Amino acid sequence: MTDVSRRQLFAGAAGLVVAGGLASACGTSSSPSATSTTGGAAGTPKRGGNFRLGVTGGGSKDIMDGQNIITKPDQARLVSAFETLLLFNENYQLTNDGLAESVTQDSPTHYTIRLRKGIEFQNGKTMTADDVIYSFQRIGTKKFGLTGYAATATMDIAGMKKLDQYTVGLPLLSADSTIPQTLASYTFCMVPVGYQGYPHPQIGTGAYKLKSFTPGQQSIHERNPNYWRTGEPYFDTVTIIDFSDSTAQVNALLGGQIDAMTDLPPSQVKVVQARGMGALVSKTGGWLPICMAIDLPPFDDVRVRQAMRLLVDRPGMLEQVASGYGFIGNDLYAPFDPGYDHTLPQRTQDIAGAKALLKAAGKSSLSVDLHTTDGAAGMVETATVFANQASAAGVKINVINDPNFYGNQYLKLAFSIDFWGTRSYLNQVQQGSLPNSPYNETHWPPKSGTGSNFESLYTQALASTDAATRIQIEHEMQQIEYNNGGYIIPFFGGLIDGYAANVKGLKPSKGTLNLDSFGHGFRTIWFS
Amino acid sequence: MRRIASGGVSGFIVRRLLLGVLVLFLVSVVVFAATQALPGDPALAILGRSATPQSLAALRRQLHLDQPVLSQYWSWIAGLLHGNLGKSLAAQEPVTTLLGPKLVNSGVLVLISAVVSIPLSIAIGSWAALKREKIFDQTSSSLLLVLAALPEFVVAVVLVILFATTVFRGFLPAISSIPPGSRPWNNWVALVLPTITLVIAVAPYVARIMRASMIEVLESDYVEMARLKGLPERTVLVRHALPNALGPVFQVIALNLAYLAGGIIVVEYVFNYAGIGSAIQEAVINHDLPVVQALAMLIAAVYVVLNLLADVATILVTPRLRTRL
Repeated sequence: MTDVSRRQLFAGAAGLVVAGGLASACGTSSSPSATSTTGGAAGTPKRGGNFRLGVTGGGSKDIMDGQNIITKPDQARLVSAFETLLLFNENYQLTNDGLAESVTQDSPTHYTIRLRKGIEFQNGKTMTADDVIYSFQRIGTKKFGLTGYAATATMDIAGMKKLDQYTVGLPLLSADSTIPQTLASYTFCMVPVGYQGYPHPQIGTGAYKLKSFTPGQQSIHERNPNYWRTGEPYFDTVTIIDFSDSTAQVNALLGGQIDAMTDLPPSQVKVVQARGMGALVSKTGGWLPICMAIDLPPFDDVRVRQAMRLLVDRPGMLEQVASGYGFIGNDLYAPFDPGYDHTLPQRTQDIAGAKALLKAAGKSSLSVDLHTTDGAAGMVETATVFANQASAAGVKINVINDPNFYGNQYLKLAFSIDFWGTRSYLNQVQQGSLPNSPYNETHWPPKSGTGSNFESLYTQALASTDAATRIQIEHEMQQIEYNNGGYIIPFFGGLIDGYAANVKGLKPSKGTLNLDSFGHGFRTIWFS
Repeated sequence: MRRIASGGVSGFIVRRLLLGVLVLFLVSVVVFAATQALPGDPALAILGRSATPQSLAALRRQLHLDQPVLSQYWSWIAGLLHGNLGKSLAAQEPVTTLLGPKLVNSGVLVLISAVVSIPLSIAIGSWAALKREKIFDQTSSSLLLVLAALPEFVVAVVLVILFATTVFRGFLPAISSIPPGSRPWNNWVALVLPTITLVIAVAPYVARIMRASMIEVLESDYVEMARLKGLPERTVLVRHALPNALGPVFQVIALNLAYLAGGIIVVEYVFNYAGIGSAIQEAVINHDLPVVQALAMLIAAVYVVLNLLADVATILVTPRLRTRL
């Protein structure tokens, strides 16, 4: 009997996992008023202690795997023990501070990866080119269902070559300039040859080694004394504890039973701060789009899509859905990408303009169903607030909250809400805006007329080795989406996490993961 | 007489056991129908966003959805009778392995709450009846009424604010995590707040019934007779009044304990306690069919057994009922 893999099962059931990583829930996010007080510069790091982290979103489906996650605590476990070749810094810019000294693009279809020398796995084995090749092969094996699989589509993994002990050649099947971003995604970690997920031994290069793990309850991680970065990490042990509810989590933080928690509810920010504890407010690029399928009525008429985009009161939406924690959007994704087009004018609410467009389209008294679900914080609220805002123009929107949203109808609906996390522009296009994308809610791009060249522009951008040319093409793509696309992106949310007063070293980050990527895998934080 | 009495009680128990089995059988049909046999495809509902033809086919095989409904039911119930509750879809391990420790955790919590709340509420109720309309009766009655009106989560949150996070900060732990591999009794400090919450949830009802029942008994002819005979008040109360007053109270205790088996969900949630309450919640969210079915059957069985025990206890303290059997 073939058992259904847990990932297949729960990606669907909980509606939580988007290939490439858990989207950051956007209900919780950052506000200008509640700027975080961090201990970034506060004193020199000190050794010792047991760092207890409370995480919501886990359960008996928890796993530990160096290249896969299902739940949020899985993310914390993964970054504690495993590392990537490249890294994103707190501004979501690529750096070569990871396991690779450099990753260079020799030609549009070939990369060379040079490993840092002398890095040891937690069992004392030196990391070499063989481990890298095994790691890529494991991610690229479809039946394993690992998070990074979709991103290996352009890689010629079978053709990878060990050039010497510390150098690997990565040929591509087709040009792809997003390889460095992929290599920095947190699930694209390097594992030793022969590695398998828990309950097999969990041996990575990371700062902490797994000691014990009970899915749905907790995992304990011990300091790796051989860690390759000097001085780090600082804690003796890290304990990751599952919580089913944020009330218990906040109580545990206030009562001193945990030292940090993920996803502090916005309403609790002041409560926590009043106790001298910290609220880490990170403006991540998580977003909850209102999706219009461009080939289904009434949105097959571009004027209707444009009208809907003019109906949104973005600041109002940000305030009501995310308590003001975040920043407003302009119907374009990937705001931290160097290729994000900041020159396009910011859309604002224009009821008269929307009415005129609807009248021209013959849809003056439009009535339409908007489907949503509790898949991520804020999805239902976004739908309700939008319905309310749209009524100002006489547009009637019936919000349908469907618990089985991700079951039968997902991706087939004309009008729906979804959720996404931070990604670079081209990675996001690949995930959600191409004919063969796994999660293309808007059925973008158009088959004919304006925008039908979108996919060929994407291919050109992937093939371009020159950043300036690539950005120019990306701007052209965004121009088309800005005028004709099917997404309404009212705002980008963020993450708020709570931590005890004696936890130092946390900085707000634009990355996908909570708590400054869990204190960079629990190695850049310490107890004062 | 003796033969009838003893035969009567054991005969009664046998009859009730058979009835209980019948009830459980009916419950199993309902549970099965509600979870697996309803129109629509459970496999599709479970897999949702990521369903592929292969994964659907595999899950259908795993749940025996490819067989006729009757044989699906048969393989499920046969497994149940053999203690094979299937494999959790979420944890990919046998349901028994998954639920075993949680069952112990919840069982201990319910048991301690029962052991504390039952004598306490019987004592409060009896004392209030004895001191009817006096200060103790009036204060305890209004206090119990207030407590009975509060939902458990309010009680729990207030207790946490009082003893863990705000007023007496750090006096007791705000959450009651039982580390994997350890047992609740090794973490007794963690049990204090959940136990108090459950006691407050249950005790008011039992105490109020106890008071009413005791008052009725104290006004009865046989108690008056006993007093007139000159028996010491202590004997009157303990030997004559109390056993008779307890009859109706057992029923309420059983109902409340059965309620605890289900109502513990809220308390486990607030205190992050690893018991069956959190398991139910999670299994429902995950569409983890085998776990949901197992827990539904388990809670039904708890209801049946507790009701049986209450009836037996009532009969044992009520000679009138004993002889009538």
